[in-house]
Amino acid sequence: MLQLPRAPRPIHLRLMVCTPPTPRALRLAFQQTPPPNALAECSRVLKKSGQMKLLHREKEPASVFEGNRKNVLLSGKMQGGLGSVGTLSHAYVQHPPLRCDIPDIRGIFYDDANKFLIAPTADRILYWKITPSTPAGPPNSDPINDGPVLSVRYSLDQKAIGIQRSNHEVEFRNRETGETCNKKWRVDSETLLGFFWTDCPTYDVIFVKTSGLDLLAYEPQSNALRLVDSKKFNVSWYLYTHESRLIVLASGMQCTLFTGYQFSASGVVKLPKFEMTVSKSEANSKPVLAADDVHIVTVYGRIYCLQLDRVSMTLNMYRFYRDAVVHQGTLPTYSSRIAVSVVDNIIMVHQIDAKVVILYDIFMDSYAPISAPLPLLVRRLPSNNRQATQSSDNQSSAYGGTLYGEGWNFLNPDLVCDVENGLLWKLHLDLEAIAASTSDAPSVLEFLQRRKSDLSMVKTLSLAIVRTVILERRPITMVAKAMDVVLDSYSRLMKMGSDLPGVRRTSEQNLQSGVQPVVNPDSSSGDGNRPVQSNSGVEHGIANHTANVDRTLLNTSSDSDDITNASGGANQEMSGLQASDVAERKPLVVGKDSRPLASGTSMQHGTHVANVAVSPSEMFESVFVLVEDEMMGDPAYLVSIIMEFLRSVSKAGLKAPPNLYVMTTTLLAHSNRYPEIMLFVSNKILEPSKELAMQLMELGRQNSPTRKLGVDMLRERGLHQDYVSALLQDGYYLEALRYARKYKVITVPPALFLEEAVATNSAKNLAAVLSFFTEFVPTFKTTSDYARYRHILSEMI
Amino acid sequence: MGLSSGDGAQLCVFDLRRGQQEGQELDKILFFHPADCPILLQLSVIGLCEGIITFSRIFSPDDDCEVIESENHSHVFYQAEADIWMVLVVEKNKDSELTWRCGALQGILKEVHSLFTMFYGPIRTLLDRQPSAELARGHLRTFVTDYLSDFSAGKKLQLPTFRDCLKERGTVQMLTISREVALEIQSLTTVLGSCLGNVMCQSLVLFGDLLVSTTLPPDDTLNLYTYAVLRLTPHALSSYANSWSYLRKGTSVHSVPTSSSSNGTASVERPLQREKLYKGKDGFVTADFATSEIRGAVPSAPILWFRQAEDRMHLCVYQHKNITILLLTPASSLINGDEGITHVKRHLLEHASQNIVTVEQKLSRGWGGENAYHVGGYRYLLVDPDRKVSRASPPGKVTTLSKDSLLSLNRQREEIDLEKSRAGRSDSCHDKDFEICIRAKNNSWVIAKVTRGRELYMALEKGGETLLYASTAVEKFSNRYCEGAFSTD
Repeated sequence: MLQLPRAPRPIHLRLMVCTPPTPRALRLAFQQTPPPNALAECSRVLKKSGQMKLLHREKEPASVFEGNRKNVLLSGKMQGGLGSVGTLSHAYVQHPPLRCDIPDIRGIFYDDANKFLIAPTADRILYWKITPSTPAGPPNSDPINDGPVLSVRYSLDQKAIGIQRSNHEVEFRNRETGETCNKKWRVDSETLLGFFWTDCPTYDVIFVKTSGLDLLAYEPQSNALRLVDSKKFNVSWYLYTHESRLIVLASGMQCTLFTGYQFSASGVVKLPKFEMTVSKSEANSKPVLAADDVHIVTVYGRIYCLQLDRVSMTLNMYRFYRDAVVHQGTLPTYSSRIAVSVVDNIIMVHQIDAKVVILYDIFMDSYAPISAPLPLLVRRLPSNNRQATQSSDNQSSAYGGTLYGEGWNFLNPDLVCDVENGLLWKLHLDLEAIAASTSDAPSVLEFLQRRKSDLSMVKTLSLAIVRTVILERRPITMVAKAMDVVLDSYSRLMKMGSDLPGVRRTSEQNLQSGVQPVVNPDSSSGDGNRPVQSNSGVEHGIANHTANVDRTLLNTSSDSDDITNASGGANQEMSGLQASDVAERKPLVVGKDSRPLASGTSMQHGTHVANVAVSPSEMFESVFVLVEDEMMGDPAYLVSIIMEFLRSVSKAGLKAPPNLYVMTTTLLAHSNRYPEIMLFVSNKILEPSKELAMQLMELGRQNSPTRKLGVDMLRERGLHQDYVSALLQDGYYLEALRYARKYKVITVPPALFLEEAVATNSAKNLAAVLSFFTEFVPTFKTTSDYARYRHILSEMI
Repeated sequence: MGLSSGDGAQLCVFDLRRGQQEGQELDKILFFHPADCPILLQLSVIGLCEGIITFSRIFSPDDDCEVIESENHSHVFYQAEADIWMVLVVEKNKDSELTWRCGALQGILKEVHSLFTMFYGPIRTLLDRQPSAELARGHLRTFVTDYLSDFSAGKKLQLPTFRDCLKERGTVQMLTISREVALEIQSLTTVLGSCLGNVMCQSLVLFGDLLVSTTLPPDDTLNLYTYAVLRLTPHALSSYANSWSYLRKGTSVHSVPTSSSSNGTASVERPLQREKLYKGKDGFVTADFATSEIRGAVPSAPILWFRQAEDRMHLCVYQHKNITILLLTPASSLINGDEGITHVKRHLLEHASQNIVTVEQKLSRGWGGENAYHVGGYRYLLVDPDRKVSRASPPGKVTTLSKDSLLSLNRQREEIDLEKSRAGRSDSCHDKDFEICIRAKNNSWVIAKVTRGRELYMALEKGGETLLYASTAVEKFSNRYCEGAFSTD
């Protein structure tokens, strides 16, 4: 449950939520056309202000990605067109949108708790489930009585529908029985502003009136409402998002005084009263704050409030704590109208007049935008090929005129409803473009690793970025930092993986909260994968765990604070071993699971969440193996990088794949650095393995001490047969024989030993070997070897 | 211990290609210690040596004469370069305290020569460059004398005796570190390697007197390590500070005016001269060579010659607490000498300080003290000639052994040395395994074991009665501390 932390040290209790939407019924749209060069103006101002955290692609020094773009980035780049402005963009809406332009409908509503797009007709309610992905088929429907509809909200268990009929009346309809009950208020004294369902234990429905809140319990059996509590104060308007479970109520002359409550499954939190400041244009003017100018935003499990100050053209950002509301900073705006969306914890501030969007990632309390203001694009599903892209260009240009058009309504958190055309768009981030817009690899990787959607893209991009920084021979410290970021996020995920009780607890709560079936866009995909996995063994068990965990991660949103607080903390000590265990086995699982991914058509959902993190062996296969050839000219650099990688791996408590050690020795040998091989083997930087031993012996052809290292490693690893063969190859046949006897190695044929003995031309030794075999191998006397070497021996004597 | 009686030991360096005409014999002598030895005596020593060398070559053209044992003296030979010989003459005595091992004495000659070569290049090159040999003699005089000052006790040389049989000169002692720390150090090495931008710098990292990491081949590592332990580590620097007042008096060497600082190699003054080395405030160990006659001409970093690296190198020494870092930059990449070195130093301070501090902390935390490598009940020496690495019981523990055990062990090592050189002659590409267990007079077990090139020597004083006990002890030791390298197959 998303809970408000206490200031100043935020405490996040468990957050197990869904990504939902705004309570505001659709508000019909806007005026004005934007000034013609708003975009240019906007960029100029931003550049001047020097606030760009990441460099704009156009300004980027010696373009980071250009050189390797082909292999680095996904093929088939999708770029929708917005005619004259060009095709650069960091955010887009996906084509095709959901069409909801059904002739008879009387308006469109959005139920953010259930993620239903609702369109009432005269006697029915049509609704589309927006989660997990925009549906293609026709809407579902529920019959209702005729009458005006001001807003519609389904109960959280979806057994009842609440329909606001007027400013004084709400009708509740039991969906099974069809029974209705009406809740009415006296017309004169107060006006109903709205209502919503809550998963708070004591209340089910909350009515917001100009005179305060009514908190009611709903009894589905009797389809009756019971007033439990009420809170009296003046309300001018209110904002509520189910995502934050937070309601803020404005009052006062300028509507700048706020009261707030959080109605969550764990109870009610009353926020302290607070006031927002509004700049005055003239001394005597008293600007009134409108509901349109305030936005509740939930990112990384924290709740913020953005307030547009129209006079100073800034967005004030407040953060809600349990016992305080703290002003955090201001963001500049370049438009008199703005809209705010949240996609994957990224705040999108739409500058509607300028028709551009600015992205903010406030994970680290940095209020610099992550990219230049760029327009929104329309794109076709990425699964389609280039031809489709072209056709999408046509379509988008056909649609182009209405981007940020009159009918656009922004639904919390990431939807746009074009009421005029009856279209519902989902906003997306173009991670690829954002990643390409900066050369600061570690921060881009951090940014990517924080993303929860489009996981396969995150992974592909992360690997590509690491590859690129290596190929470009960036400073080692920087590459090291980049790899740290990737591995840290993997090990964090693995640690969560071993923390099963926590996971279970979370999912139970999910059930209790009663919103489980619909809230989580990813849960269905996770569930979908489960049957496939559960039919075999332990490894799949692990995969399951990771899948679960990842979901928890998603749900809790990855503020590291609450991860540890929620469930990680208690088990962290014990998780060490298990984590590495999981880490070791994980690649197997990933290997299986990643296959459908690679060919997967959908980038958005159905992605197995366990795959987001990049394991050390994936780093090896997708980075080091791929760059090795190109780096052969400068093996020292690559070796240093590998050393840093090993350091990150060991710091994260993970294991590196043995083949990486093989590669390292090859690189070192390539530049004649045999002494270092020796050093690294002796201090275990190169961890012993059979693969490494074999490689050392191979390299030992040029350098005998290195060969010895390999042979010793075979012995230390207890690879008896290989050790005996190695000794034989080096001509130590007596030693080999002694060893074979001690460890009962019977797989090496006697002829090999005998042949070596003959080669040294020592009758004494040959006799010794012969008698050894006659004594220890009962059937040896009957073999042709015996006769043959017996004969040779007699000739020698 | 081990004082030679009388004026005892002599050390000479001579070139058989010089002074071949009668009357010019003196020209052969490149160095003679003690310097005040009468010329006639010097000539007679060298004459004898030359005679023996020539004579033994008749029988053994491929292998050099190693030692002459006469009634009163031992002459230990080492052919340092073609026809350049070093001979150490030690006096024999009834006193068993003066029991040496030829190999150990030869080790001294090898060591001083390798160090000399590292700083000045091969003697032959010096001679070729300046046939009058003034340059070579000058350098040898200061260098070898400085080197021998470590062995001097009063006016005499105190050479290693049987009591040092659990030490191996010419090997590196490594610090055993965990993988995590090793990676940390490797990361430091990377930073150090990039001090010069594109050109890789080499580096050695020492913790106390133990080597932690190196990027150089074993030979060069050994030389630098030896130098560091002799003069640069905190221990070496402080031991001088504590004791110089009385130690210095007898052995002052007249400073030699340098005639040729322009030819590049003379830029190193006296790298083994303790008085001039100190750790500066910036953490760099520098030599205070800015004396009046050579001011300005000398970069504060010595230039080194490496056998296996192609380039000459500047040495830059940085110290932080117990960590000593030897950073080597190719001389050819430092275009403007001092300035280049200043740049390297600045780079090191800027980029590596943090790593160095971290590494120092981790190493200090993990360091088990001077008895870290003590194994209860065992007094041992482990040598890996391939890597030129050895590890031994701490000296403090070795002194607890009785004289009998040490003498037996010394004797046994001598045998093994012989056996090894014999095996090396017959089949140089295969290691031969040996094992000798001796029950000494005092009932201690003295064991030597050579397996696949690696050598283990140990003395067990509180051993059981049987040979089985001895071999079980070796087996245990091998499995526990040598990853089974000496286990019986």
